[in-house]
Amino acid sequence: MSFLEGFKFRRKDTRIHKLDPRTKFIIVVVYTVLSLIFFNVIPLFILFLSTIFLIYMAESMNEWKKTIRGMFFFLTIIFILNFISISQNKIDYSLAMVLRFLTLTSIFSFFFLTTTPDELALAIEASGISRDYSLMFTMSLRFVPTLAKDLQTIMDALRSRGLELEKGGFIQRIRNYTYVLVPLIVYEIRRSLMIAEALEARGYGATDKISTYFELRMKRIDYIITVIAIIITILVILLKIYGMLPSWLFIKISNI
Amino acid sequence: MKNNEVVIETRNLYYAYEDEKYVLKNINLRINKGEIIAILGENGAGKTTLVKHFNGLLKPTKGEVFVLGKNVKDMSVAELSKHVGIVFQNPDHQLFSETVEKEIEFAMVNFGFEKHYIEERIEWALKLMGLEKYRNRSPYTLSIGERKRLTLATVLSYDPDILILDEPTAGQDFLQKEKIAELMNLLKHRKKTIIIVTHDIEFIVNRVERVILLVGGKIIYDGDKRGALTNYKLMKEARLLPPQVSQISWILYNLGVKLPKDILYTEELLRELLRIYKS
Ligand SMILES: Nc1ncnc2c1ncn2[C@@H]1O[C@H](COP(=O)(O)OP(=O)(O)O)[C@@H](O)[C@H]1O
Ligand SMILES: [Mg+2]
Repeated sequence: MSFLEGFKFRRKDTRIHKLDPRTKFIIVVVYTVLSLIFFNVIPLFILFLSTIFLIYMAESMNEWKKTIRGMFFFLTIIFILNFISISQNKIDYSLAMVLRFLTLTSIFSFFFLTTTPDELALAIEASGISRDYSLMFTMSLRFVPTLAKDLQTIMDALRSRGLELEKGGFIQRIRNYTYVLVPLIVYEIRRSLMIAEALEARGYGATDKISTYFELRMKRIDYIITVIAIIITILVILLKIYGMLPSWLFIKISNI
Repeated sequence: MKNNEVVIETRNLYYAYEDEKYVLKNINLRINKGEIIAILGENGAGKTTLVKHFNGLLKPTKGEVFVLGKNVKDMSVAELSKHVGIVFQNPDHQLFSETVEKEIEFAMVNFGFEKHYIEERIEWALKLMGLEKYRNRSPYTLSIGERKRLTLATVLSYDPDILILDEPTAGQDFLQKEKIAELMNLLKHRKKTIIIVTHDIEFIVNRVERVILLVGGKIIYDGDKRGALTNYKLMKEARLLPPQVSQISWILYNLGVKLPKDILYTEELLRELLRIYKS
């Protein structure tokens, strides 16, 4: 389950960590938009490289690497599926899709590695979503590693009773995984009921106006980054629509 | 004596999860057939990690593990589990069948036992764990104690030679603990090797002979239980509470009562006190 490493918050003292969560969220949106409007290797490669640079600035390369390594299987599948379903430009297109996936994974990893769950909750609330939903969202993030651990424990117990998860034909394997899913679902439902009770016992929902420890404040650097990011995005979109982007961005790498 | 047949052996065993630091460090163990052993240590000491090596769920990062004379390196969990049954702590992580009977049947079906034998064994296990009247119930409708007994039944049913119980008494009431103790007795008579992983000292005082103390992934003691449980320094190092009888004896000793320092059983304490009283 090590691919989850790149999505867990680590407390570190870097400039990136100090940015307002909303600024980081804008960066995520910008990267998402940019990576979705391009279908070519070179621009997606540039985007991907710049996400690595951001993660490097956040001193989080090790966690990010674990995630990317864990994604290797997915990446191969993406490449193969695109490769067999496309009739021309096979290599370029499949590679571009792999790079798009890498960019998206990396930028989300960048966001979750550097934003505390508290900041995240505040940022969601600040954008007008109710506390119930923001809590639901941050709690589900909080419990992803726990879920991974439960899954491991369940698989260990089943294997100790002679179940060979990887054995048998396709149907058999699916059946094997239902053995895993039943206890997992039952266990998690029980756990969430317990958490709900604990929340209520500690006064959750008692008042609408809650006090917070700290408030989010956009600093000068946050405004600067936000404005620059939005300008660049709009500029790139306009240039793309009017066909004014430099032609080397669209060179097919299979022709080189 | 044939009793000295080694069933589990580890040689310089080290283990690390992923590429983090070692959670088991240089573990050297020999466990003989028919022994009843307690592995003791505080939460996170590495007890569960250690026993997962005995049925191949984990493979050593460094060093070797032998089970019944064979290196586990090239053996599957399924193969090893036939001989080494592990009952894990939390029943809710293990039950998934529609009925209690099917739950017990699962392992034996995986091992390819014959049908009439399976039926025989289900009856035996149901009876042993007092679950006959629940045979057609869903495991999820049972009480926590019954679910615990069901997890025991699922492993006992296929009669492994070596039985490992991970925290069997955690969260169990007195009656359940008694039943687990009874079960250990029965297994002892059937010459099974039993390894019990726990920090419930009172439970093991009367029930095991050998004790292994694990601290931070290292063995700090391996031997006769009295040597560990009545050694204040060792118990403190392992962050375990010594048996209450031993604690009382130490308090009395410090108050000036001339008692031996290695009292383990209530009878011993009473005998000593009587002796002093008489003289
Ligand atoms: N799946 C895992 N991944 C990473 N670390 C683990 C995992 N399981 C246990 N650990 C760590 O290994 C150490 C020993 O754990 P464990 O063997 O469960 O201890 P015990 O059973 O004595 O309570 C602990 O520090 C624990 O955090
Ligand atoms: Mg444990």
